[in-house]
Amino acid sequence: MKATRVDRIATFFFWILGMISVGILFIIVGEIFARGLFIALKPSFFLGKPEAMKEGGGILPMIVSSIYLAVLTLLISLPLSLGAAIYLAEYSRGGKITRFIRFCADSLSSLPSIVFGLFGLAIFVVRLGWGYCLISGAFTLALLNLPTLMRSAEESLKSVPKTYREASLSLGASRWTTVRQVVVPSSLPGIITGTVLSIGRIMGESAALIFTTGTFIRKIPLNPFQTAAPLAVNIWYTQSEALVPDYRNIVNGGAAFLLLMVLVVNLVARYIGKFYRRRKGLS
Amino acid sequence: MLSISGPSLFIKQAMDYLRSIRKRELHIKVLLMICASVTFVGLLLIFIFVFRESLPAFTRLGLPNLFSTHWNPDVSHPEAGNYGMLPFVVGTLYTTLGGLLVGAPLGIGSAIFIDQIAPPKIGTAIGRGIELIASIPSVVIGWFGLTLLVPMIGRLTDTSGFGILAASLVLGVMVLPTIAALSLESLRALPSELKEAAYGMGATRWQTIYKVLLPAARRGVLVAVILGMGRAIGEAMAVQMVIGNSRQLTFSLTNGTSTLAARIVTDMGESSGVFRSALFAQGLILLILAMLLILTIRLVSREKKETVR
Repeated sequence: MKATRVDRIATFFFWILGMISVGILFIIVGEIFARGLFIALKPSFFLGKPEAMKEGGGILPMIVSSIYLAVLTLLISLPLSLGAAIYLAEYSRGGKITRFIRFCADSLSSLPSIVFGLFGLAIFVVRLGWGYCLISGAFTLALLNLPTLMRSAEESLKSVPKTYREASLSLGASRWTTVRQVVVPSSLPGIITGTVLSIGRIMGESAALIFTTGTFIRKIPLNPFQTAAPLAVNIWYTQSEALVPDYRNIVNGGAAFLLLMVLVVNLVARYIGKFYRRRKGLS
Repeated sequence: MLSISGPSLFIKQAMDYLRSIRKRELHIKVLLMICASVTFVGLLLIFIFVFRESLPAFTRLGLPNLFSTHWNPDVSHPEAGNYGMLPFVVGTLYTTLGGLLVGAPLGIGSAIFIDQIAPPKIGTAIGRGIELIASIPSVVIGWFGLTLLVPMIGRLTDTSGFGILAASLVLGVMVLPTIAALSLESLRALPSELKEAAYGMGATRWQTIYKVLLPAARRGVLVAVILGMGRAIGEAMAVQMVIGNSRQLTFSLTNGTSTLAARIVTDMGESSGVFRSALFAQGLILLILAMLLILTIRLVSREKKETVR
C-alpha cells in the first residue's frame, strides 16, 4: 500500500518538475515579449538609427551587424567544419588521430565563450591589428562554432546508409566522387539544419564578441574590417552604460527583437528538418 | 582509334588516368586532414595566447598579489594596484553550485518525466520547450533576471536584490537544458529489459526509476551535471548583469560580488598593462577549470566502458 502511495506522490512531483521547466520558457519569453515586442515591431525602432546620447534611437545597424556577422562566420566555419566532418566520417579509420581530433573538438566546445573573446582580442584585434571589427568577431565565432557544426555534419554524414557508398564505389566512383555526389547530397538536410541552428547561436552570442566586434555604432557597417555592434552585444552595452535616457525602452525592444530573431531561426531549422524528412518518406 | 596506337598505349593512358585520380584523392585527403586539424590548432592557439597575455600578471605582480582577497586595480598606474582574484573564484564556485542546485533537479527531473511518466505527446512538447530555453541568448536571460528577478529578490529580502541568489537562479535556467538533454539521452540509451524486469518483479514506477533506472544511468547523468557545471562556470553576460559586480569576498546570498567571467566583462574595457594581464589570468583559470572538467568527463565515461566489459 505504502509503495503505491509513494509512487503517486513521486509521479505528482515529476509532473511539477516538468511543468516548471517549460513554465520557465513561457515566463521568460512572455515577460520579454510583453515588455518589448510592442517597441521592437515599430518600424521607427528596428529601421531607425541609434542615438548616442539622446532618446528615440533605433537598432538597424545592430541588426545588420548580427546578420553580417552570421554570414561571415559561416563563410569561414562551414567549409572547415564540413571538411573536418568528412574526414572523420569518411576517411579516417577511427585511429589515434581521430580520437585526438575528437578530444580537441570536445575541449573546444566546452570552453567558456568569454575565453574565446579573450583569445579573439589577443590575436585578431591586437596581434594581427585588425581592431574591433566584424572580421575579428567572425573568426572568433568561427572557432567557437566549429565543434558543434562539425559534430552535426559528422552525424548527418554517418546517418547515410552504407549501401549508398558501396553502390557508388562499386560503379567505379572514387572515394571523393562518392562523398561529393552521393554522401553529402543525401546528408544535406542534416547539415542545413545544423547550419541554421548555428545561425541562431551566432546571433545570440555576446561574451565572445564584446572585445572583438565593438559595442556601439551609428552607421551600418559595410566593410568587414569596420567596427560593428551585433544586437546581443549592443543590448548588454546599452543596459550597462545607460547613456541614453530611454535606455530601458531600447533594451526592452532590442531584447524582444533578438529573441524573436533567434526563435524564428530555430523554428525554421526545425521546419527544414521536418520538410526533408517528409519528402524522404514519400520518395 | 586505339588499335592504331596499339594496346600498350591504351594501357599507358589508363594507368595515367588512374594515377591522376589517385593523386587527386591524396590531395583531397590532405586538405580534409588540414580542416580536421583546425580544432587542434585552434585549441593550441587559445592556450598560447591566453597564457602569453596573462604571463606578465604572474611575473610582475606575483602569486601573492593575484591570490589575495583584495581587488583594487589602478587604472592609470596598473602596476600599483591589487589584483586578488580570490573573491571571484569564490563567487564563481558559489554561483556554480547555486546554479546546479536549481538546474540539476529540474533538468534530471524533467528528463525522467519526459522519458518515463509523461504521455508521449506531452513529453515531446516539453522536450522541445526545454530545447528552446537553450536557444535564448544569455543577454536576454540576463535582462530578464535584471528586470524581474533582481527587484523581486530585493523586495523579498529587503536588499538591492543583486548577488549570488539572483546569479544562481539565472544560471539554473541556463544549465537546465544542458542537463535535461544529456540526462534524457542516457536514460533513453538504457535497455528496455531493465524497466520490464523491475516492473515484472512488482516494483512501482517510482521504485523502478529510483532503484533501477537512475543507478543504471548514473554515469550519463553525472556527465550531464558536469557539462552543466562547465556552462555555469564560464557564463559571463547573464551573471554580470545580476550579480552586482562589487569586489568583496562574500558568502551571503544577497550581497553583491562577482565571478571570474563577469569580472573580465566588467573591467576589460578600462584595463591596460598588468591590469589587463590579471584579467587574462582569470581567463586562464577558467580555461584550466574547463579542461579539468573535460578530463573528468573522459575519466567517468572511460570507467563505463570497462564495467561493460
